[in-house]
Amino acid sequence: MSATVSTPAGIMPSSRDWEKKVDDVRPSKADMNTIVMNYLIIGGYPSAAMKFAQEAGLQSEIDLTSIEKRNQICNFIHHGEIKSAIELINDFEPELLQTHPRLHFALLRLQLIELIRASMDDNEIEPALTFAQEYLAPRAPQYPEFLKDLEHTMALLCFPPDQLSPPLAKLLDPDMRKQVATMVNQTILASQEVFPEAKIKSLVRLRAWVEAKAAQSESERLRSIPHMDLGLVAPKGEFPEPTK
Amino acid sequence: MSYHTVASSGTATVVPRSQGSSWASIVSGQPSRPRISSTTTGLRNQRNGSYANLSDLGSQSGRYYSAALSNAFNTQSKLSQLPVSVPSYLEDSLYAEKLEAARDPSWSSTIPSRTSSYTSVGLHAAQSRGSGLKLDVKDTIQTTEDDLPTPLPTKWNENDKSGGVDVSQDGLNVQFLGPNKVNEYDSASVRADHFIPRSCGVYYFEVTIMNKSREGLISIGFCGADVQLNRLPGWEPNSWGYHGDDGKSFCCSGMGKAYGPQFNSKDVIGCGINFRTNSAFFTRNGHMLGTAFRDIPTDRKLFPAVGMKKPGEHIRVNFGQEEFSFDIDGYIKVERKSALQEISDSQVESLCPPLDEASLIQSLISSYLQHDGFVETANAFAQDLQAEQNALSNKGKPKPLELMEDKDAIRRQNIRSAILEGNIDKALKLTQAYYPEVLLRNEQINFRLRCRKFIEMMRQSAEANNGRKKVPPPASKRRAFDTYEEDEDVDMDSGDTRSDMDMDDATPVTGPTPPDNLDMLTKVLEYGRQLQEDFKGKPELQEEMEEVFSLFAYSDPMVSPMAHLLSEDGRAPVAEALNSAILVSLGKSSKAPLERLVQQTTVLLRELGEEGGPASFVNLHNWIHNMEYLPNS
Repeated sequence: MSATVSTPAGIMPSSRDWEKKVDDVRPSKADMNTIVMNYLIIGGYPSAAMKFAQEAGLQSEIDLTSIEKRNQICNFIHHGEIKSAIELINDFEPELLQTHPRLHFALLRLQLIELIRASMDDNEIEPALTFAQEYLAPRAPQYPEFLKDLEHTMALLCFPPDQLSPPLAKLLDPDMRKQVATMVNQTILASQEVFPEAKIKSLVRLRAWVEAKAAQSESERLRSIPHMDLGLVAPKGEFPEPTK
Repeated sequence: MSYHTVASSGTATVVPRSQGSSWASIVSGQPSRPRISSTTTGLRNQRNGSYANLSDLGSQSGRYYSAALSNAFNTQSKLSQLPVSVPSYLEDSLYAEKLEAARDPSWSSTIPSRTSSYTSVGLHAAQSRGSGLKLDVKDTIQTTEDDLPTPLPTKWNENDKSGGVDVSQDGLNVQFLGPNKVNEYDSASVRADHFIPRSCGVYYFEVTIMNKSREGLISIGFCGADVQLNRLPGWEPNSWGYHGDDGKSFCCSGMGKAYGPQFNSKDVIGCGINFRTNSAFFTRNGHMLGTAFRDIPTDRKLFPAVGMKKPGEHIRVNFGQEEFSFDIDGYIKVERKSALQEISDSQVESLCPPLDEASLIQSLISSYLQHDGFVETANAFAQDLQAEQNALSNKGKPKPLELMEDKDAIRRQNIRSAILEGNIDKALKLTQAYYPEVLLRNEQINFRLRCRKFIEMMRQSAEANNGRKKVPPPASKRRAFDTYEEDEDVDMDSGDTRSDMDMDDATPVTGPTPPDNLDMLTKVLEYGRQLQEDFKGKPELQEEMEEVFSLFAYSDPMVSPMAHLLSEDGRAPVAEALNSAILVSLGKSSKAPLERLVQQTTVLLRELGEEGGPASFVNLHNWIHNMEYLPNS
């Protein structure tokens, strides 16, 4: 008696069979809505979260304060208004920056970057220098990586903006603001004992992982699984366009 | 904790008595009440692998039509062999998920949450749950044999043993019968009733040495289906065992390797197989003894097995029906963590180039909102994203935002909200006006809407009857009593879809006060008769209809056994089914990309998990609802 676990070779499912298997799965709408709501809350989209609770008929009490505050803080950071962001953080979570020196340093460095950016327009490097000496330099000795980051940032002052090396140009990229904003958002969430990562993020990674894993499998059946399309219309421009 | 044994289709299943009631509801198909509170069940707190009742996970979705479903379910006999519950260490396994999916085919990878909060704090949600009405447009349920999980080992197999041992009535005790029953060179072994599904990820059982002979020649391990049973597990090819006389581990050979201590009476020896690493370990009295075997072939069906050779030897097995002495839950936690770390490190850029992770997620969210007709949320979300984009672009030139003006989306949205507020007539009228073919082509959906209308009328009558309502009913609720035939003009030619929104104000309300109760009941009855008349040629709908009509039997249906039918939670699934049907009629996919993603992930996970790799540690439903064990990336 031979006992094999996998389907005998030869009876390999066709792409149609796989399609059918996929179609036969019935995801529950409640789960979908949970995923979406979780994303809107974690990501800090207050108006969308409110609308969604209404439209999806979720009888829920959302603590809007946290979403709104995080949204405001991230907004300031996105706009490059780091000073206001820091004030708001201290207002909302007074202990946060003290207990998270790396986050504090990241914010101060971003503020320095913004000052340097301003100096490129008006050629006034005084404020940036004063700020670096007053706020960043005293913190740098605490951690070696702070010192490196600070040196790296100060190098921005030495080159004209159009002659920056790629790593330096990266500091001036808006993505830098986004990174810091994400960091702040996640730290606040974690300090409120909320799992700081949206479920959909793990879900998307899981989806990528299963596909890669199947493609690398020793099993012929698994390798035969065709690429499955999400049916997502590739968005034009930088963010998804509404479909017409 | 005491146990009772219930025979179902010839298979005895042991369930904890304390959880018998919800268990019974699965077997009988009787409704189990939806749980309204959002308390976490105690499942996660149970330690050491004791059984957690799966119905506690599954029945919360409150599937009132499960009887009808299981009648149509042709794999009933195989289903009855499946365990009703799994040991707690398997709770988060793919196996447990497949088991739930098999029990309730309308449920898929995912059922409503047991912890129904979106984040662990800050939000207390009584979310709209699944209701009795099936969620899908399609009516047939196709579950093929090979999608069903295989049963777990539950006892020693009376019919798969050597003559030299006796298996007790409950199938848990094994005793050596004495040398006169076997050749003096022979040993006597027995296999469990089912092989171990690899989708468990890790499988674990414990054996108590009830009594040993002087030598203690007992072997605990596992073997293939074809291994001779007059030898001890470990001696023969395709068998593995830990021997109590010399403490050696035997891997398919008569030559053992020094491994652990010898067995004493009352010792509890545990045996675990890890299908991710293809290795096995043993434990003794709750302590890990380390890896005993590596490179266990992946293509065999393996059964738990014990063997003995000397008079007086007697063991008792624990396949998870009792608490384990080893902390297997803790072992699983570590295993799962490394599996999930691997998953969490994966790169998503290849999924939908050129989108990076953040834009892929944004697209999934906005396409879902649009697809399902959450128009205002979609617009609010687009505005938020636009604002973020504008803030980040240094130039600060705000790009004008194009709001979604998709006529169909707004119509679908209006239909949805009508159903969600219980105004089924409005939904029917709008559908009739804009998508007349949908109701004609989807009789099921037409039927569901009409049933829901009946339920809404019943609700209102019941509310009025026992004076629960302290405030006058909102117009939308009262309108349940307008009859379907009393059509108002829906301005269907006007391109101005906004006019739909005004319907509430434009519609005259039947009367300033609610009709008196007898009058109401008469109307409900009339409507019921009409419903019966309209669908009498459809035997497949009769059962559902009768169930709904049974509400008549109770003077106060709100507190009757059928009260769950009246819950507002039943509205959302009807709205979703109708939305999907409309989308299909428009030639669009009935599923949003986010749903496709979940569907595809489910299928791929199940396939991968069959091999017993890291995927078997992922129970997608629990993954969605309980993220606490996911390592930080």
